[in-house]
Amino acid sequence: MKNSTFIYIEEFCTIHNIETSLVHQLVEFEILTLKKTDNKEVIELEELPKLEKMVRLHQELEINPQGLQAIHHLLEQVNKLQEEILALRRKLNRFEE
Amino acid sequence: MNFIDYYKILGLDKSATEKEIKSAYRKLARKHHPDLNPNNTEAEEKFKQINEAHAVLSDSEKRKKYDQYGKDWQHAEEFEKARSQRQSQSNQNNYRQYTYTGNQESDFSDFFESMFGGGGGFSGQQKSTKFRGQDYNAELRLNLTEVLENHKRTLTINGKNIRITIPAGIEDGQTIKIKGYGGDGIQGGPKGDLYITFSLLNNTSFKRDGANLYKTIEIPLTKAILGGEIIVETLSGKVKLKVQPGTQNGTKIKLKGKGFPIYKKNGFGDLFITFSPKIPTNLTEQQKKLFEELENTGLK
Repeated sequence: MKNSTFIYIEEFCTIHNIETSLVHQLVEFEILTLKKTDNKEVIELEELPKLEKMVRLHQELEINPQGLQAIHHLLEQVNKLQEEILALRRKLNRFEE
Repeated sequence: MNFIDYYKILGLDKSATEKEIKSAYRKLARKHHPDLNPNNTEAEEKFKQINEAHAVLSDSEKRKKYDQYGKDWQHAEEFEKARSQRQSQSNQNNYRQYTYTGNQESDFSDFFESMFGGGGGFSGQQKSTKFRGQDYNAELRLNLTEVLENHKRTLTINGKNIRITIPAGIEDGQTIKIKGYGGDGIQGGPKGDLYITFSLLNNTSFKRDGANLYKTIEIPLTKAILGGEIIVETLSGKVKLKVQPGTQNGTKIKLKGKGFPIYKKNGFGDLFITFSPKIPTNLTEQQKKLFEELENTGLK
């Protein structure tokens, strides 16, 4: 793993002023996956926007980890439904003049 | 630049308590938070307004200034200057300068910046930590024929020219991510990403579903009955098609590989042609007679 592709969880939590337990709960709820390097927990940059979004919701809207799990689940469903609507619209377009 | 009624934005009246302001802000922020309303620019705009209103009304100093000048905010600076001059004359050490070190200038209205100074509005302390830059979203409108082949295009995003390759076969409504072309990172943090959503205008006579194309073609009734050949336009030129004798209305034929390019793969989808025999109207007397004769032969 290259240095530039991950961030240490400890460092992330210090920067954002959050407890590492919040990140661990998000992992437990299968919202995030962490990796280990040099015996330290890290998050890959690809996963970072997801974690940042959860932290924003937690800090700005005071949503607890259980609420974050529900939001994450619902947002995934919204995304899937939006993709489905788009695909159906394309199909419908074939029958519209 | 217009006056902004922050109380109205939060649905409050001027006598609102701190608790009521916080409660109204939380309620509206939960409803309009951009993370809960992906790709909804209206919600994003509303969220910015709510944040701005909260930034002013939850800060006693700013609220005082806002309440004091109200609609006369344009003269606030002059009043402030005159007042601070008076104060500095009476007490040189009493002068206090406000600085705002927020880093999301664009999130605040001109009205806000004019009244409270440019650059954010939260009197937060400058942090030395690194933050990833903001992600940008953009929409690109293209004709369907423009995505028949990979092509390069230069876009201007926030004053910067960005040259991107648009892959052939991209879908209407599809979003692609251009890594590192978002806002600048803060304190040396990585740049955000640019998300481009494509809006395709179908300027062809084909219907598209993924890489497959569809078209209904009218054929003369006689050709549907007796068979023959017709010329069909495809995206890659004209092709000659055989019409089988006794072709029914709705008969479909597939032209393999004559569809749209498959996104990020080699090859093309298929073109599906549906035949629609045209029933003649305004027959001449002679044609009518011939049809009657056909009917008399027992043709149904």
